[in-house]
Amino acid sequence: MSSALAIESEVASLIVEALHLETRAEEIDPDAPLFGEGLGLDSIDALEIALAISRRYGFQLRSDDERNGQIFASLRNLAAHIEKHRQR
Amino acid sequence: MSWQRQRERGSLGALRLMGWVITRLGYRAAWLLLYPITGYFLLSSPRQRRAARLFLGRALGREAGWRDLFRLFFTFSATLLDRVFLLDGQRRGFRIEVQGMEALDARIAAGRGCILLGAHIGSFDALRAVADAGCPVEVVALMHGDHAAISRDFFAQHAASRHTTVIPLGQPDAMLRAKECLDRGGLVGILADRAPAMPGRTGGMRVVHVPFLGRPAAFPEGPHILAGVLGAPVMLAYGVWTGPRRYQVRFEPFAERIVLDRRRRQEAIAEAAAAYALRIEAVARAYPYNWFNFHDFWEEMDAS
Repeated sequence: MSSALAIESEVASLIVEALHLETRAEEIDPDAPLFGEGLGLDSIDALEIALAISRRYGFQLRSDDERNGQIFASLRNLAAHIEKHRQR
Repeated sequence: MSWQRQRERGSLGALRLMGWVITRLGYRAAWLLLYPITGYFLLSSPRQRRAARLFLGRALGREAGWRDLFRLFFTFSATLLDRVFLLDGQRRGFRIEVQGMEALDARIAAGRGCILLGAHIGSFDALRAVADAGCPVEVVALMHGDHAAISRDFFAQHAASRHTTVIPLGQPDAMLRAKECLDRGGLVGILADRAPAMPGRTGGMRVVHVPFLGRPAAFPEGPHILAGVLGAPVMLAYGVWTGPRRYQVRFEPFAERIVLDRRRRQEAIAEAAAAYALRIEAVARAYPYNWFNFHDFWEEMDAS
């Protein structure tokens, strides 16, 4: 398993756990949108994901980040962003 | 939720008309116009009238008549008139009494921020006027699209509120922005009596049915989840209309923190929503003509 795939499945598990989803982590399409269509998350989910990421990876997602649209566009983008900014 | 959109569009039209009348003819003329405007609202919206009658019957504990309906619709129109002034930051001639400021100040001083749970009761412009008049920390208001649009539209024409930022609900980063405001010790206002128009994850609505005036009604879970997840103290906040340009704004302690235990998370959310509904019920009984939910609150009108 490449490291990109490894972090993607790790983040998928984090999302499933943080949001108490019924979906299994491996069922999340890495390219599908997380919000609206696709997984259908809302702003409360976004908050819970941001908190879980800060606990696990030691950095904060910020609402004033211009790249948020892109970061939250898919599991793949979110995982790549985490890989780049993680403190642990 | 087309009723909501219609209502807001109607409100915006009335708001513009009043804005025009006030600038040309002054407050008193606008006040006299409230009577025909109220009559028009009352006669032209049978569905809202029916919903209001159901609410008033329960809040008053007796059958509601035309006089009660007129009073409710009139109060609503009066807050719309005042809105023209309050959104513009013009407080001359207004008397806004505030209760519970010490309790709010204590929470502000603690530096952990505070969540203010509101309702569609009275005027949130009166609340906002209090914030603008010297709140030492920043204030954000989470609002559904329609309200956010009206406020934005109005701010474009008038000098904007100096202190309060509106965050439209429905954007993915809305709650994150609320969290950051609390982190900075600010206040986050959110209306907790109207179920969200948008379905949440996997089509499920984030609503919970809890008793309100003797019957279960749908209340949003979101505000209580936000409070639980962030661990901030929670107060109730509302401003009721008590007479021409007279308001009473109240801040009441609600919870030091809402604990969402992992294993009984859903129960904890339902308990918080039920506690909120019970408190709002008391306010609705004390100020029944300030209740501005003109929709089928108990989802009973279409049942045959």
